[in-house]
Amino acid sequence: MYRLPLHGIRVLDLTMAWAGPYATRLLADMGAEVIKIESIDNWDVLRALTGQPPDTERVWDKSPYFNQTNRNKYGCSLDLSKPRGRELFLCLAAQSDVVIENFRAEVMDNLNLGYDMLCGVNDRLIMVSMPGHGKTGPERDFVTYGTNVEQLAGLCHLTGYEGGPPHKTGISYGDPIAGISAAGAIALALWARRRTGRGQYIELAQRENLISLIGEVVVAFSLNHREPSRRGNRHSSMAPHGCYPCSGEDEWITIACENDAQFAALCSALDQPGLARDIRFADVVSRYRNQDELDEIVAAWTAGRTKEDAAESLQSAGVSAMPVLSVPEVFADQRLRYRGFFEPVSHPIAGGWEIDGPHWRMSESPAHIRLPAPTFSEHNRYVFGELLGLSDDEIGQLDADGITGSAPNRAVHD
Amino acid sequence: MREAASLSDLCVLDLSTGIAGAFCTKLFAEFGADVITLEPPSGHPLRRNGPFADDRPHPETGALWLYLGTNKRSATLNIETPSGLRLLSSVVEEANIIVEDFAPGKIDGLGLSFNALRRIKRRIVLVSITPFGQTGPRAGWRATNITSFASGGQMSLTGDPDREPLVAGGYQAEYQAGLQAFAAAAVAAFNADALEVPQHVDISAQECMASALELYLPWWAYLKRDISKRRGNVLSATVGVFPANEGYLGLHIMPRNWPRFAKAIGSPELIEDERFKDARSRLQNNDELEAIVYEWASRQDPREAYQAAGAARAPIAFVHTIRDLFESEQLRSRDFFQRLEHPVSGEITLPGPPFRMSEVQSRLGRVPLLGEHNEQLYCEEMGLSRRDLARLRAAEVI
Repeated sequence: MYRLPLHGIRVLDLTMAWAGPYATRLLADMGAEVIKIESIDNWDVLRALTGQPPDTERVWDKSPYFNQTNRNKYGCSLDLSKPRGRELFLCLAAQSDVVIENFRAEVMDNLNLGYDMLCGVNDRLIMVSMPGHGKTGPERDFVTYGTNVEQLAGLCHLTGYEGGPPHKTGISYGDPIAGISAAGAIALALWARRRTGRGQYIELAQRENLISLIGEVVVAFSLNHREPSRRGNRHSSMAPHGCYPCSGEDEWITIACENDAQFAALCSALDQPGLARDIRFADVVSRYRNQDELDEIVAAWTAGRTKEDAAESLQSAGVSAMPVLSVPEVFADQRLRYRGFFEPVSHPIAGGWEIDGPHWRMSESPAHIRLPAPTFSEHNRYVFGELLGLSDDEIGQLDADGITGSAPNRAVHD
Repeated sequence: MREAASLSDLCVLDLSTGIAGAFCTKLFAEFGADVITLEPPSGHPLRRNGPFADDRPHPETGALWLYLGTNKRSATLNIETPSGLRLLSSVVEEANIIVEDFAPGKIDGLGLSFNALRRIKRRIVLVSITPFGQTGPRAGWRATNITSFASGGQMSLTGDPDREPLVAGGYQAEYQAGLQAFAAAAVAAFNADALEVPQHVDISAQECMASALELYLPWWAYLKRDISKRRGNVLSATVGVFPANEGYLGLHIMPRNWPRFAKAIGSPELIEDERFKDARSRLQNNDELEAIVYEWASRQDPREAYQAAGAARAPIAFVHTIRDLFESEQLRSRDFFQRLEHPVSGEITLPGPPFRMSEVQSRLGRVPLLGEHNEQLYCEEMGLSRRDLARLRAAEVI
């Protein structure tokens, strides 16, 4: 066994909410020392999504969403808008490998903490900014959160029931997508730094990043100038292809038939082998044209079965089929459980629970949850004492001056 | 003159057959890595996917391939023949990363297990992308994009509450797995380069998607509260997609944006309104606020409302069609879309890179024709003669 792949890489993490913290979660899972920096008046909104009564003691340390996303990280408070706070941040940057931020485009420059400034104290530093629209252009200062990104990237337009309106996806989709890309970009910059000895600046515009996940649609539009239509769960060539009801309340299975052989297998699994020779369904084109009828036949069969039984039957015949797993079902899923996807964590304030662990499985350096998410300001002493060499008195003075603090200003996210 | 950073000494060998693997290696190629896609002599399976230029199916003009194959080199190779395997071993010696997406176990059967590969190349990174990972019950289950999307929980969150769950547009399960594989492979390659550590990276599409369930999974795991039932297009009065006058507007208003939002919709009096004074009261009086928002949205020209909201710093976007993307002043001002001449399909437009690096330039190159680089790879770089190529071709190895 080897040390974790990013052991020894220090990341200063100014990001909040989901996109940036998902990126640093990936880095932290891989062994990077991620130091999450918040401040009394600018703290992570995920700490406010607690699902618990607001008068719960230290409720900002008990947010399950925050504690899942920020495991394996250290945390401190530091107000960058105050001169002393900014000065200490530059000292940290001098001994770090990566700085990552997802403020609006102009915020870091307004703090006089742009890449040129940081590079001046450490030319090996890699800096990542991940604004919604990028650092340039007429919309650069537009505020863009979560679900806005998929609306700006064309994905919302592509998603939806046949004949219906564009549909949002189930999550703030652009966020994790931006986070994954940012982590990959940092790894490429680390590779390049071994060649040049220098860091670099990475600009990730979240909407551009998400457009790269529908790239074929862009190319198709340039070929044919046709606006793609929403087609629900159907596919441009496969049939049957969709989501079918199963026995029980709100239970569903997805099925996709890629070719004649799989359709024949599906017909046997349905115990209707004659269907494969039925003139309406005997070839790819006929099945596509008659998929309304075909869907009714498939749905009549699935409706009488549990989604697990139906999936087992179809898979053993060689047909792609999978129950639509609800979130609690994901948490209980035997595949995930077998692979140790969920790991126990013990948090000093929030207590013990189980969450999803590192999902990049590295054979020679398996990763696990090593640290619970930081409580607010938990590692101030480590960061300012051990890393920056400040005395206890000096650290106390930071608290007294409001540059650091033990509790966030609750009013910010009310 | 400073030495330019480059990924040109990073060699990626792509044995994969699906979108995830092709997207993973596309990103390496886009930033300058040498990506060799080894296609079966009949062509990469993605070459079969439309839509095609002029709607005429052709192995060189499918939109998926035109997008996912960019900047790669193409060599044909039948790796299921002994001759093909021997050639592959020579290519592996030059590779840093190998990407594959076969059913678990298949690559072992070909004699290309991780252990076999690391004997050829000591610090190889093997990236395996599968629907459920290399291990576990039902790891061999067959999957396509929609069934894979269903396995990771995201589909159950998508769609209207009284209808069937909805798959996201395009091939999102595949792209997510591919993007995760790219980032994981880049981390492993950096590590292999720095510390000579080989790595078998096992990417499960299901796990990738299950890691991105927003607050729904953590809330269930910690609070045993399930709020994941899909809720259609409108989560609340301030988060959702609302019909506008010819088009749609998307709102994602966080508590701190409330005053700016109220001003942006021309109703500053709402800020002082007792019913909506804080997040809690807005939730309690959601129906009333929702009615106000629906009414406001229905009167808006989405493009004008977007510009006005942007200037007022309220997080409101209009739902962009694909044409809207092409016409976006923002994207145009950043030269995001790039035109390229392709020898068979003619001029096409490609989206730019997902991120921009100050020291590593992204490339604008076309996709390779089938086997375009056979001679370069097998003759110039590996020392075979053209007559050897003819022999390999006759035996259906290349």
